[in-house]
Amino acid sequence: MKMLSLRNLGKTYFDPYAGAHVTAVHDVSLDVEPGEFISVVGPSGCGKTTILNMIAGFIPYSKGDILLDGKPVHGPGPERGVVFQSFALFPWKTVLDNVGFGPKMRGVPKAERDRIAREYLALAGLSHAAHRYPNELSGGMQQRVGVVRALANNPDVLLMDEPFASVDAQTRMTLQEELTRIWQERKPTVIFITHDVAEAVFLANRVVVLSKGRVLDQIAVDLPRPRVWDDLVKDDRFKQLSARVLQMVRAA
Amino acid sequence: MNLMLQIWAGYARLTRRWPGIAAIIPFIPVLALWTAVSEAGLFPRAFFPGPGDVVRAFFTLTYKGILPDYLQDSLIRLATGAAVGMALGIPLGILIGTSRWAHRICWPVLLFFQAIGDIAWLPILLIWFGFGLTTMTFVIVYTVLFPVVLNTVLGVESVPRDLARAALSLGASRARVLWEVTLPGALPNIITGLRNGLGYGWRALIAVEMIVGTSGIGFMMFDARRAGSTVEILLGMIILGLLWYIVDAWILAPLERATGQRWGLVTS
Repeated sequence: MKMLSLRNLGKTYFDPYAGAHVTAVHDVSLDVEPGEFISVVGPSGCGKTTILNMIAGFIPYSKGDILLDGKPVHGPGPERGVVFQSFALFPWKTVLDNVGFGPKMRGVPKAERDRIAREYLALAGLSHAAHRYPNELSGGMQQRVGVVRALANNPDVLLMDEPFASVDAQTRMTLQEELTRIWQERKPTVIFITHDVAEAVFLANRVVVLSKGRVLDQIAVDLPRPRVWDDLVKDDRFKQLSARVLQMVRAA
Repeated sequence: MNLMLQIWAGYARLTRRWPGIAAIIPFIPVLALWTAVSEAGLFPRAFFPGPGDVVRAFFTLTYKGILPDYLQDSLIRLATGAAVGMALGIPLGILIGTSRWAHRICWPVLLFFQAIGDIAWLPILLIWFGFGLTTMTFVIVYTVLFPVVLNTVLGVESVPRDLARAALSLGASRARVLWEVTLPGALPNIITGLRNGLGYGWRALIAVEMIVGTSGIGFMMFDARRAGSTVEILLGMIILGLLWYIVDAWILAPLERATGQRWGLVTS
């Protein structure tokens, strides 16, 4: 496992329509320990998705550094797995082949990558759907596939960009509970982008609040695990933390 | 009322067992009307032949070997043109669809040449290549090329950006992304382009055969005009319609459905 560091990260791009330079991310420094679960919250336009896209390597950064175990990262790579809000499953591949895609790119033979894919599908309770196509699954099931597809590639960091924003409220709670369970089993390093304060607190060890391209504050979440919604909705500590984060986000 | 329901039920059962019949039944009134008009003797027989005459002409020409030869010539020309058109059109479409610079440079040129219809090229082609296979192939390739290129570009651009990003962050190289994401994502559109291209190509082929041909269905029809044989002209027209129906309904449309609908890319 490796440590991810953002050092004075900044992103400025030229907007040809406005005819001016726009700064989406001013100056963000952040250290993420191996096996840590970090939520990043902030109002829209605070630069949270831009930061995630820079870490993933989808867009270049203008200043500062992104270091994975001390080495700068440029461009997308398999050591940084991504879970998309749009799921981004390959519609022409079965669920099994979607999950086995990362191993396939590494040159793992068919039988072995099927075994890996089945193992991860079992982790998400999706063994029965292995031979179905993504469009035959519900949104919640599709995103389960999205999560295990990224995990099956054994990334050093798992980047999640509002992954549960487009599923219904009940399914979202189930997915959040499953994610905390999977995280406890596998302990991947996770950076989870969301605008939902309760979700951020529920999932994370640490919540990072962003405002106008800067880190406003960081709050440690010391709630015990396993976390389930039935308990936490009644939990005073959870309510306190959520209220504190919410206040910050609204003032941001 | 009861009788109508019975007929309807019979029709439903019949077409479920032999789906091909559903395509034939609508032609029964057309045939009946044609027979009625020709039998009524409103026009001279040589001027307006009936279905029976056309069927007889079909057997005579098939027996003489003219029809099979001409049909083969036409189909080989179309297949050659389509193959070359695809071989050029799909890579070009992928280049334009994936590269912003290629798009900027090629798109206006492409639209310009698309506007110059296939037949509009004939005068200059006849001077350059004369009356022959080169001219015909050029026209078919030209006709097939544009629908294939334009639909491939559309297909490539319709592949969601997140799919390519997902593949990259799962460890795929740019070349693998092209093969694993761009091509399959664009495939339903490519097939649509091919379907349109072949449809246009088929019509263009007949037109070109009439002008420059020495064989082929188009040539047969135009030659029949010289001899005043309305039967052969009508036969040619019917063959054009039938053949296209077979190619489109039995090969191209199922292919298009098999890709698009299976993946949920096409909703219908």
